[in-house]
Amino acid sequence: MTVNNVWVITDDQKAVGELCGGGRQLGDQVSVVLFGDQNEAQEAIASGADQVYLFGQPGNSVMIEAYSKSIAELLRAEKADLVMVYSSVRGKLMAGRIASGLATSALSNVSELTVEDGSIIAKHMVYGGAAIRTEKALSDTVVVTVGTGVFEEMPKDVTRQGKVTEVNPGVDNTGIRVLETRPKQGEAVNLSAAKRVVGVGRGFAAKEDLKMAEEFAALIGAELGCSRPIAEGEKWMSKERYIGVSGVFLKTDIYISLGISGQIQHMVGVNQAKTLVAINKDKNAPVFKQADIGLVGDIYNVLPQIVAKMKAQN
Amino acid sequence: EGEGEKMRVISCCKAVPEEQDIVVAKDRQISFEKAEWKFGQYDLNAVEAGKQIVEATGGQLSGLCAGGKILDNSKLKKDILSRGLDNLYLVMDETMEQADTYQSARVLEAAIKKMGEFDLVLCGAGSSDLYAQQVGNQLGELLGIPVVNAVNKITPQGDKVIVERALENAIEVLEITLPAVLSVTSEINVPRIAGMKDIIAANKKPVTKLSLSEIEVADSQPASMVFSTLAPEQMERRLNILEGESDDVVDVFVKLLSAELK
Amino acid sequence: MSEERFDAIIVGGGLAGSTAAYVLAQQGLEVLIIERGNFGGAKNMTGGRLYAHSLEKLIPNFAEEAPVERRVVRERISMMTDNDAATMNYRSPRLAETGSDSYVVLRGEFDRWLFDKAEEAGAIAAAGIKVDELIVENNRVTGVICGGEEMKADVVILADGVNSILAEKAGLRKRVKPSQVSVGVKEVYELPAKVIEDRFGLTGDEGASCLFAGSPSNGLVGGGFLYTNKESISIGLVLGIEHIGESDKTIDEMMTAFCNHPEIAPLIKDGKLVERSGHVVPEAGLSMVSTLYGDGFLICGDAAGFCLNIGYMVRGMDLAISSGELAAKAVIEAKEKGDFSSASLKSYKNMLDNSFIMKDLSLYKNFPAFMENPRMFNQYPSMISGIMTDMFVIDGKPAVPLRKKAMKHLKAVGLKNLVKDGLKGVKSV
Ligand SMILES: Cc1cc2nc3c(=O)[nH]c(=O)nc-3n(C[C@H](O)[C@H](O)[C@H](O)COP(=O)(O)OP(=O)(O)OC[C@H]3O[C@@H](n4cnc5c(N)ncnc54)[C@H](O)[C@@H]3O)c2cc1C
Ligand SMILES: Cc1cc2nc3c(=O)[nH]c(=O)nc-3n(C[C@H](O)[C@H](O)[C@H](O)COP(=O)(O)OP(=O)(O)OC[C@H]3O[C@@H](n4cnc5c(N)ncnc54)[C@H](O)[C@@H]3O)c2cc1C
Ligand SMILES: Nc1ncnc2c1ncn2[C@@H]1O[C@H](COP(=O)(O)O)[C@@H](O)[C@H]1O
Repeated sequence: MTVNNVWVITDDQKAVGELCGGGRQLGDQVSVVLFGDQNEAQEAIASGADQVYLFGQPGNSVMIEAYSKSIAELLRAEKADLVMVYSSVRGKLMAGRIASGLATSALSNVSELTVEDGSIIAKHMVYGGAAIRTEKALSDTVVVTVGTGVFEEMPKDVTRQGKVTEVNPGVDNTGIRVLETRPKQGEAVNLSAAKRVVGVGRGFAAKEDLKMAEEFAALIGAELGCSRPIAEGEKWMSKERYIGVSGVFLKTDIYISLGISGQIQHMVGVNQAKTLVAINKDKNAPVFKQADIGLVGDIYNVLPQIVAKMKAQN
Repeated sequence: EGEGEKMRVISCCKAVPEEQDIVVAKDRQISFEKAEWKFGQYDLNAVEAGKQIVEATGGQLSGLCAGGKILDNSKLKKDILSRGLDNLYLVMDETMEQADTYQSARVLEAAIKKMGEFDLVLCGAGSSDLYAQQVGNQLGELLGIPVVNAVNKITPQGDKVIVERALENAIEVLEITLPAVLSVTSEINVPRIAGMKDIIAANKKPVTKLSLSEIEVADSQPASMVFSTLAPEQMERRLNILEGESDDVVDVFVKLLSAELK
Repeated sequence: MSEERFDAIIVGGGLAGSTAAYVLAQQGLEVLIIERGNFGGAKNMTGGRLYAHSLEKLIPNFAEEAPVERRVVRERISMMTDNDAATMNYRSPRLAETGSDSYVVLRGEFDRWLFDKAEEAGAIAAAGIKVDELIVENNRVTGVICGGEEMKADVVILADGVNSILAEKAGLRKRVKPSQVSVGVKEVYELPAKVIEDRFGLTGDEGASCLFAGSPSNGLVGGGFLYTNKESISIGLVLGIEHIGESDKTIDEMMTAFCNHPEIAPLIKDGKLVERSGHVVPEAGLSMVSTLYGDGFLICGDAAGFCLNIGYMVRGMDLAISSGELAAKAVIEAKEKGDFSSASLKSYKNMLDNSFIMKDLSLYKNFPAFMENPRMFNQYPSMISGIMTDMFVIDGKPAVPLRKKAMKHLKAVGLKNLVKDGLKGVKSV
């Protein structure tokens, strides 16, 4: 079951494959809005797009989000049924502005999209992951934001034909000037692919102390992840490494948390793991309610012992 | 020169049930009956950011919340007021409890217009219940003024603000003409903890209640119809919890762990 | 609000403090009540049996709106040895008559309710704030300091509980001696209401109170208690701190032994442990009662030592409530006179003397000393259980007249001691 017109909007080329794959699943016609060049347009077509709208760079003191109004007009004119916006920072801003322009809301961070007798059914987490909401979209044009990992990419078919339209509409940018853009080093880790992950939390008092955890992780061949405060508040680790409802979802065999309380927002990111292990000094910490194996103890006392013993074994 | 005329800032915060208090029934239905209510963890960053701005420029910080009758709870009101607001505006209506991001934005827009002149509207990184990260963006578009999300730093500069925006792999420095709507990140600051005087002061700060009819917002169609809201399937866990730091306890733990790693 | 000040600042949002705040606010005084926990009662624990009379006076039919668990209609006292228990069971409608009725409460909820009552009445409540120090200016308490912030008032009411460090710091009161306090441990086990009612022979909102002497305290001063809540059971021990060192068991071990005792185990069987806490109980009764008032301050509740600890039974909530009420009354009078000096606040002491508080405290004046006598918790329980054994254990040996049976066990303890203790006991009660 499909709808007629599915639109994909992304400022990040890495999402093109999956979103076009999703588009093909859900719609007869897949149109893509890109802000890049012809090559990227061709990649979109090879990935399943029927037509690509190439929005040129609006000039270096203007954000691409300034196109939001014209994109909304385009969508209305083209009678889009479903608009899937990649949930990047820019994507979210565009999605919200476009949705407002279309007098509807944006269904955010959907984890599943299906079409049932003509209408779009979306699933997404609410209450920090404590629940999953299933809803039926009612508006004529349904706007959703989607991350990666929701849809399957189709094998690229370079022979696919598609139409590329270059558009340079006016931008509505009153009041915002880009003064500077400083590249910042994002880290290229993919925790969701890791089979073993060790997660560190605020139980660690200082950044240096993470060495303990690193040594332990290395010892058992695990990737190192963390709770959100460690990546954000403390900035001890890159955002790519924080696990949970607003971060990475793990598909590991085993997840070992060290000094993590186990709030729902974190646990939803790990509770698919086959085995959950937790070390925390507070025996009432929620993390122990969802652990296969737990140790109530101070990481500063037990972790060195554990490392020593495991070394002795090998 | 960060000098500018006094700023009128509005920080938007949403009251939400404490996730930890959610009770899950056998049929995976969730209940909030036993739940405490609080303000979204990340909305407090919006309040703190507003506080820091008015501390720097002078001016006034208002809180704005739309929600159900829970907003009448005096503890909730005092809690948010004690965090540095000068006054608080409440839009109370049962329908707000199920409002989607567009409906919320519509109501906030109408309320803000009623509240009069303003320079800056601040939203949090996301509400603790929906975490759609959209109301700010939609609100800005509805008000027809500059709107930006993921704001990590705000520096007032006359009738403008200079903001730093955290993209995935870049920091974008923007000059934004006021009035504007900014959604801040949860990293922008560490919300202050209310002291005795803040709490006492909170008792005397003005609270204005507004009804939907007072703010004259025409009700809008919901964007969706909710089928179900269910707790995810929980895997049964073994709950084999050891206590103690003695050599033999750790020994047992290591044995159990190694078995898993085989 | 530069030079803000209050008529009265109350330190502590327990029953004593909240009551004082409630009464003062009702009289329209500007009161600030400061509680370090995130809400009134957040940090409180207790066995949880409240004698209603004190609060009933203030808030008639309070039990209808307050979060009380069950109304006590059944009293049990058991003398225990490691494996035996001789239990006295008392059930009477009198227990339930207004005035003499009593309720099992869970302090977290109950204190919060009273704290909120005070706020509704107009008191300004600051929860989550700890008072670090009292402001004392030329020997007069003039306010409090919290996290570096000063707040002044005509009078400060200390209701900060048993180890009132503040009063101590300000030199208003001596440090509490170990011999003056007991330590209490308490656990709460969740069980379906139906199960609780069946196990204790209760119906509806009826509740039971059970006290245990002997083995629970491992022969030490103290004893065990068990109260039925709506859907849980509060069970715990109260132990004289002084002698704990001498015991061959740790408190935890005693608690475990207690819960596993054949008399107890079936009562909490299948219960889910949901709470475990420990707290100090004032024990020494009147002898511990401290300075009660001075220039610009009053002390009430546990902070003042208003708690009766009769070994296996602790009673302090009703004293806390009434002393809080009287403190408030004294402040109201002082306000009328515009005089908050020690002389003016003495009226508090006078009111206390004429109240059940001082009467009961002096009634049990020597009781603590009497309880310090290990025989009470050691030999007598085994004596009684011994007598019972002989009476009820029929093993085919020729029967012995009851008097002789008893004598055998009395001798074991020593008649003289028995008489001595008996007299002491009678004197003090
Ligand atoms: C909308 C929203 C989304 C969120 N998304 C996420 C998310 O995706 N991921 C996420 O992780 N969080 C998320 N959070 C935050 C989440 O609610 C928690 O605040 C966070 O997970 C807590 O991290 P933590 O367990 O490291 O810190 P804490 O909760 O402070 O826990 C620290 C733990 O360490 C233990 N400890 C302390 N010292 C020691 C020691 N020496 N040895 C052993 N143990 C010790 C303590 O007992 C405590 O349990 C979100 C919150 C909101 C509102
Ligand atoms: C195990 C046990 C069983 C008991 N059983 C019973 C029973 O069955 N029946 C009965 O009547 N009594 C019982 N009691 C006694 C009873 O609990 C106390 O007498 C009563 O709680 C005294 O009340 P209070 O308000 O004086 O002190 P508390 O209830 O201790 O309240 C003091 C309050 O002050 C706050 N506080 C302390 N310091 C500060 C500070 N610096 N700043 C701000 N706030 C502060 C504390 O957080 C606390 O909330 C029992 C006690 C124990 C320990
Ligand atoms: N009902 C509401 N009342 C006030 N502010 C709100 C409300 N809903 C959302 N917000 C603000 O919008 C932000 C984003 O919300 P959301 O789009 O639901 O994640 C929140 O962090 C709040 O600052």
